[in-house]
Amino acid sequence: MILSRILRIAIVVAMLGLVVTLALAFRRDPHDIRTGTIGKPAPAFTADRLEGGGALSLSEYAGKVVVVNFFASWCLPCTQENPALVRVYERYRGSDVVMLGVVYQESRENALAYVKRMGISWPALADDDGRVALSYGVFGPPETFFIGPDGVIAGRHIGPIDEPTLIAGIEALRREATR
Amino acid sequence: MRTRIVLAAAFLAIAAALVLAARPHELTAAERVDRITAELRCPVCQGLSVKDSPSETARQMRDLVAARVREGRSDAEIEAEFRAAYGDWVLLSPPIASWSGLVWLAPLAAIAAGVILASARVRGVMPVSIAEPSAAQLAALRERVAREEAAEG
Repeated sequence: MILSRILRIAIVVAMLGLVVTLALAFRRDPHDIRTGTIGKPAPAFTADRLEGGGALSLSEYAGKVVVVNFFASWCLPCTQENPALVRVYERYRGSDVVMLGVVYQESRENALAYVKRMGISWPALADDDGRVALSYGVFGPPETFFIGPDGVIAGRHIGPIDEPTLIAGIEALRREATR
Repeated sequence: MRTRIVLAAAFLAIAAALVLAARPHELTAAERVDRITAELRCPVCQGLSVKDSPSETARQMRDLVAARVREGRSDAEIEAEFRAAYGDWVLLSPPIASWSGLVWLAPLAAIAAGVILASARVRGVMPVSIAEPSAAQLAALRERVAREEAAEG
């Protein structure tokens, strides 16, 4: 009798646990997958600029808000999100906000042609061996990372990003920096 | 006599083969890369390991693992690098010492609960409750038996 009661309680507890787990999982934004990089220092990298002029290191932008966008010309959502990136770049041009593009699994020639065609004027970086993308845990383009002035990855957006989401991510980090 | 010699020789040959197979040997770099990549999940595939996937991402991951092996990093360090980027999800076998380790415990807990329940029933601690039939049910049953006996003659 006691065992039967214990069993019933265990079943109820297990069902409740399942419901809570599912509820929490479904509440999560699918564009914001919490992998190991969130809340951790942004992996350092040095990569060649697509348009020449040598290599660029993330460490050059210490103390600034950095938006790192992984893109490719073969990725349709990348072309869809590009106007938003261009507008946001223009909005923050010359401020404490830096935008960097990292090419994802594409030849430098194709990527450079895309950069010119799409009016990308922020630094676009080659990642020939995919090391930068792998260190950030990128699943596929487009993906956008928000790095705070402290060098920690504060947010990540998987899939095409829009202007309000970009501005909200940037402003949250700027507010935090001025506190 | 001859049969015994043949059997003894066969036994010795099998034993020697087992000893040789079980002998610990130093893994080559390629074997280490294979072993590590077999445990890593390809991020752009459906249930494929990095070792088995033909995707570009998996190829880049294999190259990175090979480079880390050449640098002299341990298996644990290489795994940790990928876990830092992709989380525990990147491991095909979830680590036991984490929340995902519950995946391993859940079936064991279910089996243990089943064993406890079954043994309790067998020992009679938790008897199967059989409700006493009502008078009407008894009467209906007796009537049915009588009818079937009459039908059999």
